[in-house]
Amino acid sequence: MKRAFFTFFAVVAMAFAVNAQGINVGDTMENFTLQGTDGKTHSLNDLKGKNGAVVMFLSAQCPVVKDYIERINKIAAEYDAKGIKFIGINSNHTESLEWVTSDAKENFPNFPMLIDKGNKLADKLGATVTPEAYFVGADNKLLYHGAIDNDRKGKNIQEQYLRTAFDAKLGGKAIERTKANAFGCTIKRLEADK
Amino acid sequence: MHSAAPSNVLKLINKMPSTRVKRFTAWAVFAAFAVMFFAGTAAAQRSADPPKSVPVAIDGPKITQIDIDEMRDLLKPKGKPLLINFWATWCDPCREEFPDLIKIDDEFRGKIDFITISLDDVDDMTTVVPKFLGEMKATMPAYLLYTADPDAAIKLVSEKWTGVLPLTILYNADGSVSYLRMGKVRYIPLAEEVKKALAVGAK
Repeated sequence: MKRAFFTFFAVVAMAFAVNAQGINVGDTMENFTLQGTDGKTHSLNDLKGKNGAVVMFLSAQCPVVKDYIERINKIAAEYDAKGIKFIGINSNHTESLEWVTSDAKENFPNFPMLIDKGNKLADKLGATVTPEAYFVGADNKLLYHGAIDNDRKGKNIQEQYLRTAFDAKLGGKAIERTKANAFGCTIKRLEADK
Repeated sequence: MHSAAPSNVLKLINKMPSTRVKRFTAWAVFAAFAVMFFAGTAAAQRSADPPKSVPVAIDGPKITQIDIDEMRDLLKPKGKPLLINFWATWCDPCREEFPDLIKIDDEFRGKIDFITISLDDVDDMTTVVPKFLGEMKATMPAYLLYTADPDAAIKLVSEKWTGVLPLTILYNADGSVSYLRMGKVRYIPLAEEVKKALAVGAK
């Protein structure tokens, strides 16, 4: 009985711990300021477009991100023209600034790549995976959170979650699917390897 | 030229002074021709087959492909605590933690059920996945999940799972989740968790 009570308590505590961090669809993403691989500081409010922004957690190492390079650039270019700006974020403490800078130059040259030192932004937003997208409207309200599409290799794409969310928003319709997960790499947090 | 060579060589050997030298030289010549013959055959085979169709001898366990419905059955313990590791060969922390999982399997084999579910591509099922498991000397039943709806698979395992790999989940024998970890596990803390799940089952 004592054990059962303790277990219940532990489960409740864990549930709180999970919910304590991160933002949910409908919440407002607070403005943030981070240093970019271009050496300049950027903020969400400066970077977002007239129809919002996508804050996307990426990695120079993650093979899943590598699989998505082409698709990410294609979507970014297409929706940049429609007023939705992409913002790349690298929170992996295992990837050096030099590495992230050269990788961004090579693979993501058309949108800023910001360095989330100490994974503070990842903690605040509750980001855990790469790639992982947070789509906010011009008012910074979170509209969609999660995967780009359903198929890592791109051979059997049936759902383009992110694109569908953009189109709904741009068309003034409600976004049907506001959250979808996919398999990806861990964000390499400072404390995780200890 | 090949066919002429042996008879000329035999004549030369016959002219040699002692039988011992003769015998040795004959062996050496035979061995040299044997090597040439086999090398020639192998080269012919290589050029005849496109590289991909050459069967690669993979020294590893059999991998069973599953879909979401089959995975649903695998998530249910069968009288013992059940440990499941979700992983992929492309995932660095997954590969790094694997030796610790092997130690867990060695220590608790028979007491718990332990399976691995790979999220690699179906194409990898006969190549890199068994190769890695073979190198690790893994004997846990190995599965590979293929689904067009990873979100549904992730939700089915746990509402807490964000899809990050690796994921290690431990069920008590009654099917309740006793431990869930996203990211690398280590032998000692995981062994403690397994012992806890075994203790729950014993009561």
